[in-house]
Amino acid sequence: MRDFIRQLGLLRYMNWATALATLLLLITGVLFVYSSCYISEELPVRSLYKRQVFWALAGILCYIFFAALDYRVLRRWSWTIYVGCLVLLVAVLLFGTIREGAQRWLTIVGFDIQPSEPTKLALIIVLARRLGLPGVYYGEWRRVGAVLLLLFMPVLLILKQPDLGTAMVFVPLTFIMMYGAGVPWRTLGVIALVAILAVGCVLGAVFLPEKLGMDPEIQEKITAMSGLSDYQRSRIMVFFGVADDPLGVGWNKLQSEIAVGSGGLWGKGFRNGTQNILGFLPRKVAPNDFIYSVIAEEVGFMGSLGVFLLFGMVFWGGMRAAMSARDKLGRLLCVGVVAMLFCHVYINIAMTVGLMPITGLPLPLLSYGGSFMLVVMSALGMIQSVHIRSRRVVY
Amino acid sequence: MELNSPWDGEHLRLRIIVVVMLIALLFLGGSLWRVQVLHGSEHTERLDHQSIRRVRLPGLRGSIADRNGTVLASNRPSYCLALYVEELRQPGRSSETIKEVERVIREISEIIGVPPQVSRRDVHTHIRRRLPLPFLAWSDLSPEALARWVESGVSFPGVDIHIEPVREYPRGTLAAHVLGCVGRSSLSQDEKESYHFYLPDMEGQFGVEHSFDTRLAGLAGGRLIRVDASGFKHTERFEREPRKGEDLRLTLDAEIQALAESLLEGWRGSVVMLDARNGDVIAMASAPTYDPSKLHSGYTRLRKDKSLPLLNRAIEGQYPPGSTFKPLVAIAALENGGITASTTYDCPGYFELGGVRFRCWRRSGHGSIAMRKSLEQSCNAYYCQLGLKCGYDRIYHMADAFGFGHRTGIALDLEMKGLLPNDTWKRRVLKDGWRSGDTCNVSIGQGAILATPLQMALFAAALGNGGKIYTPRIVAEPWEEGDLVQKMAWSAPTLATVRGGMYDVVEAETGTGRRARIAAVPMGGKTGTAEYGPRDARRKYAWMIAFAPFDKPQYGAAIILEDANSGGRDAAPRMAKLMAGVFGSKPVFLSPEEGAAAAEAAAAQEGVAL
Repeated sequence: MRDFIRQLGLLRYMNWATALATLLLLITGVLFVYSSCYISEELPVRSLYKRQVFWALAGILCYIFFAALDYRVLRRWSWTIYVGCLVLLVAVLLFGTIREGAQRWLTIVGFDIQPSEPTKLALIIVLARRLGLPGVYYGEWRRVGAVLLLLFMPVLLILKQPDLGTAMVFVPLTFIMMYGAGVPWRTLGVIALVAILAVGCVLGAVFLPEKLGMDPEIQEKITAMSGLSDYQRSRIMVFFGVADDPLGVGWNKLQSEIAVGSGGLWGKGFRNGTQNILGFLPRKVAPNDFIYSVIAEEVGFMGSLGVFLLFGMVFWGGMRAAMSARDKLGRLLCVGVVAMLFCHVYINIAMTVGLMPITGLPLPLLSYGGSFMLVVMSALGMIQSVHIRSRRVVY
Repeated sequence: MELNSPWDGEHLRLRIIVVVMLIALLFLGGSLWRVQVLHGSEHTERLDHQSIRRVRLPGLRGSIADRNGTVLASNRPSYCLALYVEELRQPGRSSETIKEVERVIREISEIIGVPPQVSRRDVHTHIRRRLPLPFLAWSDLSPEALARWVESGVSFPGVDIHIEPVREYPRGTLAAHVLGCVGRSSLSQDEKESYHFYLPDMEGQFGVEHSFDTRLAGLAGGRLIRVDASGFKHTERFEREPRKGEDLRLTLDAEIQALAESLLEGWRGSVVMLDARNGDVIAMASAPTYDPSKLHSGYTRLRKDKSLPLLNRAIEGQYPPGSTFKPLVAIAALENGGITASTTYDCPGYFELGGVRFRCWRRSGHGSIAMRKSLEQSCNAYYCQLGLKCGYDRIYHMADAFGFGHRTGIALDLEMKGLLPNDTWKRRVLKDGWRSGDTCNVSIGQGAILATPLQMALFAAALGNGGKIYTPRIVAEPWEEGDLVQKMAWSAPTLATVRGGMYDVVEAETGTGRRARIAAVPMGGKTGTAEYGPRDARRKYAWMIAFAPFDKPQYGAAIILEDANSGGRDAAPRMAKLMAGVFGSKPVFLSPEEGAAAAEAAAAQEGVAL
């Protein structure tokens, strides 16, 4: 304990530019959660921003804790954390509450948590530990298989919920970490090829039966085999323009595009996003998955570019820490965290611009939500921890 | 340490990751530039003054016609003023928006000269639960009010004329119980928003409208319209065509149905007529009835009405079948009970069992009679002895196999099973064993036994067609064959005897159902009079079942009247009118009003048939 307090003093060596960018993003998040909800008819929704402030403060505590904590202790704890998360994922399937057709939340002492969020961090830690083992060469399939097994267990559990968006993040995350760990190109190429084939099969199962004019019964069977729920299928189909339905499922996509598009160069001004005020952006998701639409509408291209830059600074800080890390564990931790954040940011923004199907992934640091906020802040804290301990002379 | 050398393989990889991320971000930034700045001006210009409105195109509900194509339920357009609440939303609490909606409603009310039809509560409910749908502030506007609105030239943003289909029953109360009615479809709060939008306009709540709801319901469509601040509509983009629901053709014959209902005027009761060849329901009347289009306004009153107008007595009414059950007892006895058509029993005017007298309706007794005469005369003493000789097990099994105590399976909700009592049932419910008295009671269709008019009509049809039992159909295509459940293994001699007895009931001069006789078409039938309530009240159900024509039956029918005198006097003349209407013939006996004297004379002679 005393040791930990002494380590707090090391915080002065952290990357202050990244910390500032993180803080600015947090503030932006609170402001736009407020902007997206202040017109709401329901008091709990209107005061959502206050809860966001609370989560941001809690996140800062996590940040400080993980920055001060020597990341090397994670070496000892990685398996415990990973198995703990798997247990939670199983528990959520057994006892979780069902909201909007998905079983994602677990209520523990009055708090609703989404176990899939900490699992992201757990996977990064366990992969960093596994891939960071000194002297292990990942040219052998046996070893690669072990890593992929670590990936598939949580992914399958999360797909079962079902939460396609979250499960989708795990795959590129693992891939980037494997790449960063030095897994040979050839191996990665084969994995990528298999993954693309698998995705192709699923997409084929979604589209081909109807295109080929198969018997409806066979169509249904194939659809069932793809393992996608009806609304996931319809979202994918809307994205590819097969079942364009701007009145129903496509409404969110259309409205989000209009919101972003109408922002223009400088935006309509804070709290003045008409798309949002008029309720064209679905009110349920405006402060969460569509927060970027609100930002883009109200502060325009320049504002959203500012958000881009802040994220860029955070990513760059992470990659700097990775490059200067003293050991492979620290390096892979940083690569993993950056990869995770990058996937979220990219998929979320691409979705609001209409480049990606609407999957329901939150935007780190900006979207409303407790579990994810704590996870992201802890992860960023870990980067700082790696950064601090990369100094040649620590004591 | 090699890790710190900046140009080793792994550092190179990290650099590549950074470069790839940078390229990806640049690409994303480029897309953002394209959407926000290059195409942004279009969006901005449009959105400064315009918004996109989702206009709902209702999916028409299918119509319902009778077997000849006479429309019984259809839709008519109703002109409504719709408020698009999403465009009237105000910042702040919901009360602000509600106030704005109310203000708009007040102003429009002055223009069109029609008082507001909706309350604050309606507005609130709509905002909370049906926001994507237009809010119909006025439905069914008169042409004058509509003209005033159009001519006023005042434009309100977010208000427009909306045409909604309204369910209409052109024949009024005709077949109300069969048709059922529709109500506004309900939705639960946690359904997906997009789904709300395509919700069907109405959903069936009773009768055919309910049990065939999925086939009748249409699928709503919609189009997107750009609307500017002054309410002006710019381009219309058709997005999804509504789909009409399936038109249904009932097996009912509207004219026979109307005739059946007219027979019940002023009474409580039911008339059911089936096609004996395939189980089609030709008529299903229940009285008193109600007007389905006014059901919602008067629902509480109808519910509290002591005469139960909402009850479809044809399938929900359970009555003791009385003497109409005797043919079944006769069949059970002839088939398995060791009794022949010539077995005679003596009727001294009553049958005494352990000190209890089961009276026959003719006090002087029928003397020694055989099966055929017993049916014609509906002799209670005969059937008590027959039932005891045959044994209740055989009667029970025959009735159970036929379908008494079971639903017929007609595609209407709330069908009742009736009740076929036995020892198990009696021990469970009355905590008492089965006694000979119970057998006597059931043998004359009294006691605990209950049947629905539909079951009795099915029974009549089966007696006519030689034992074939069809699932009664209410919706069917004319070319479809009947849905045969089973053919009872009734032997030819048995059928000949029982049918012969039923022929005599109507066609013999002394038959209890002779008032059902019509010119030209002979029929077989059976009357019944079942007592209910306390004995002193002398309340009776009057029954008549019949099939016609006798040789090659086309129809089986059942009539029941509550609170009547006797089957022979009240039900039989109505059966005559029904059959006469169907076959284009006329009753042989005059109706009571036409020949009151003749009726009285007959009554004196006949007494009360039990």
